[in-house]
Amino acid sequence: MKISGNIKYHIVLIAALFISLMPIIFAISTSFKELSEAYSNVLGIIPIKPTLDNYLRAFNGLPLGRIIYNTFIVAAVVTIFKIGTSLLAAYAFVYFKFPGKNILYFLLISTIFIPFTITMIPNYLLVAQMGLRNNIIGVILPQLSDATGIFLIRQAMRLIPTSLIEAAQLEQASHLQILSGIVLPLIRPAVISTSIMFFINAWNEYVWPVLILKDTSNYTLPLALQLFISSEGGTDFSMAMAVAVITMIIPLGLYLVFQRYIINTFTSSGIKG
Amino acid sequence: MKEIILENICKVYGKNEIIKNLNFSIKPGEKIILLGASGCGKSTTLRMVAGLDDISSGNLYMDGQRVNDIVSGKRDISMVFQNYALYPHMTVADNICYGLKIQKLTDLEIKSRLQAVVKMLELYGLEDRKPKDLSGGQRQRVALARAVVKRSGVLLLDEPLSNLDAQLRVHARKELMKIHQAYSQTFIYVTHDQVEAMTLADRVAVLNKGRLEVIDTPQNVYNNPANVFTAKFIGSPGSNIWPAHYQDGYVHIGKQKVKLPEFWNAYIGQKNQREFYLGIRPEHMKIYHEQKNNTFIGIIKYIETYGNQCGVYFMVEGCEGIILCDNFSLKPGQKIYFSLDSKKIHLFSKKNENNIGYPEAYYDNLYKYQSV
Amino acid sequence: MENILDRLIVGKKNKAKIVLLPYTLLFPAVAVFLIFMFYPLFYTIYLSFLDWNMISPLKQFVGWKNYITLLYDPLMPVIIKNTLAYIVILLVLNCIAPYILAFILSFVIQRGRNFYKGAFFLPSVISLVVGSILYLWILNPVGGPIAIIADFVGITIPIWTKTQGMVIVVLSIITTWKIFGYNFIVVFGGVTGVPQEIIEAARMDNVPLHRIFWDIVLPLSSATGVYIFIMTIVQGLQYVFTPIKVVTQGGPDNASSNVIYNVYQEGFLLYHTGYASAFSLAAMLIFIGLLVIEFKYVEKGIYYEN
Repeated sequence: MKISGNIKYHIVLIAALFISLMPIIFAISTSFKELSEAYSNVLGIIPIKPTLDNYLRAFNGLPLGRIIYNTFIVAAVVTIFKIGTSLLAAYAFVYFKFPGKNILYFLLISTIFIPFTITMIPNYLLVAQMGLRNNIIGVILPQLSDATGIFLIRQAMRLIPTSLIEAAQLEQASHLQILSGIVLPLIRPAVISTSIMFFINAWNEYVWPVLILKDTSNYTLPLALQLFISSEGGTDFSMAMAVAVITMIIPLGLYLVFQRYIINTFTSSGIKG
Repeated sequence: MKEIILENICKVYGKNEIIKNLNFSIKPGEKIILLGASGCGKSTTLRMVAGLDDISSGNLYMDGQRVNDIVSGKRDISMVFQNYALYPHMTVADNICYGLKIQKLTDLEIKSRLQAVVKMLELYGLEDRKPKDLSGGQRQRVALARAVVKRSGVLLLDEPLSNLDAQLRVHARKELMKIHQAYSQTFIYVTHDQVEAMTLADRVAVLNKGRLEVIDTPQNVYNNPANVFTAKFIGSPGSNIWPAHYQDGYVHIGKQKVKLPEFWNAYIGQKNQREFYLGIRPEHMKIYHEQKNNTFIGIIKYIETYGNQCGVYFMVEGCEGIILCDNFSLKPGQKIYFSLDSKKIHLFSKKNENNIGYPEAYYDNLYKYQSV
Repeated sequence: MENILDRLIVGKKNKAKIVLLPYTLLFPAVAVFLIFMFYPLFYTIYLSFLDWNMISPLKQFVGWKNYITLLYDPLMPVIIKNTLAYIVILLVLNCIAPYILAFILSFVIQRGRNFYKGAFFLPSVISLVVGSILYLWILNPVGGPIAIIADFVGITIPIWTKTQGMVIVVLSIITTWKIFGYNFIVVFGGVTGVPQEIIEAARMDNVPLHRIFWDIVLPLSSATGVYIFIMTIVQGLQYVFTPIKVVTQGGPDNASSNVIYNVYQEGFLLYHTGYASAFSLAAMLIFIGLLVIEFKYVEKGIYYEN
């Protein structure tokens, strides 16, 4: 009785999972099919004649090496900068009392709720004025104003028992020593998962780069992928899938490696404001 | 070894006065225990000495130097936290040596100090473990080792044994004495455990609602309580306290009265007050089955047994009291007659609740009474 | 908690230095926020009073005209209707569905929790452009896998990118594919915050599962519920921008446009810079309303859940 009841629920969960994971499997499978097979053997998961042809054609047709490099640089710089500033800011918010602290925290965190359309036009004008349109530095800059890192890292820091910090103070440890020797090792999981999410989000960022990047050689991967889309149909889907796989392989790999940290960090991110 | 003086120390949080005008001094190498119920301000006091909490007003001196504005790292103190505050990501050895490394001591010095403390606190073989792989008792010893290894002038201990079970506590108390013998640091030790206070302290400071009730030797605090609060608070169960009235050689509780011996009469005669609180410890009374000279009458409410003894709770003239005795045949509802050991009673002024002192006959078997 | 901080500020000699330190630590973060968040915010307000096409050197101050135009914009009812449709669909798929699944996963079945959590989160690390292109292929009415399967049972998949109503549903599903996992994980955290003993007590009283869900789990995880409700709307409407932009460009005939996409369309396709700014500010009012709710309920709920 009990077992059959549980199986019922497992079926619900598996069905939901199937719906959400199937597209990924399709994409990987199709990317190894020849174009003709992509249309004739649509439902087959294992390609009849596996081929790397789609990948080769993608690399020949597009400056993909350059595009991957651009995407990586954007993601890496955004991640390093945001993690660094978030760490310092969160440390100030958790371990100091200073005039304006609460209002400043409130202002920064509120920006999480501001839709990007509000700042889109002025930021475009600003980046254009700096002469950074069609330049990956222009892609990077506006992405740096993101408060989620401050929020998540502050949450993690607040879980460190106060007495640990006090014990270090009794030892005359400087703030730098406390941050690097005590705080950072203790919030390592949160820092890792936040970094990974920053990297993945910047890697996937589409809205902002599509506004300012013009030349294909300056593109990031999501923009390159967009070249394959037309709602009219008649697209080279198997090559599109190859580029899709290239676009998602890094985020997926990072996620699979750091899954445990990421899940734990986000499980507790919603509550405990 | 440092002398510490607290002068008019106050602590205010918002509108709450947590500590009210603390004044006392601690001699170099002395072991002072701050004793009190939770929320009495004892930990706050310790944290102010440590420099972890701000001092709202008053002066704190260490060896004559005012240290209010000196950050905790520069006060030459070390501290054992209640939850130990071990760095979970460091090994035992790293935990112990962290402060020494920050002080930039030589490797040789660090190593020899580590070895000494490992030996003293029996931490052999645990040096490379992480705190999570230690038992409660081991963690406590590591916390102690980390504080001791600094060889600071003052060792602050915030309920360091409260997370240990009873048997480990006895052992840990011995270890603390050993540490004090080895380094003779000034100890300030916060606890709510009277046994710890009595066994470890040179002097006990009893705190109540942010005020210092008394600071004295354990013997005096127990035997000659300076005021009503101390009498009630110290001992388990604490002293009985009943409002009493003195008239013509008799002490009255409600409508009942017993005759006081002559030495009391002479002593009270010199005072010009007649309204008191009478204090007596539960073990200093005797129960009879029938009325005798100089007995009060009470009704038993309920009885607690402790194994070798039982505690008889009773009502006398609307006041609650307790007597310790070894008569296990008593029943609730029963009438009892009880007498007081007149050489063990304490009288407190009704006005300020302070002990009025003792007649000379007391001095034979008591330690010298010391008023605050 | 706050008074950890007291003692960092002990020490008069170092006082000035130590009080400056937190500001120094905050400086880099605050600097980028000032330049790329707060300055643009105010600049948008300024732009909303202008008639300007982003390129011309001529900027004409027109007062409230853009806001008045907004009220009479014939597109407005369509945009609002679409936005509400997106909100409803996104809430069903990303707020209600994860709640139920999280309940099942945390209280009904014990095995495979970590597997399910990990697997459900997986798509949320993938670009929405990838999601869009995958679904374009999977739901392709001509020769896509779903069309082929549907064909077996004699159903014809409509050309959804050109079908009013349908287009919103499909774009919402694509977005759901991306945000479901995150919401699920957060809701799971809230739901598992309900003490197991309370559930066990209810089970001993033979309370049916759906009642346990309604009467116990939902109220006790309400703070998470409100948080995820608001995040679904706030983030969902922004996320759905990508599939709209990539797949339909707001079409057919604005049938898939929402408040976010319309700002982009007005600002970057039609060059109505002032009007787009006014429109985005008006849309933000909705978000601010939600923000107020968030802070009121969720801040209260913290204590409730602990």
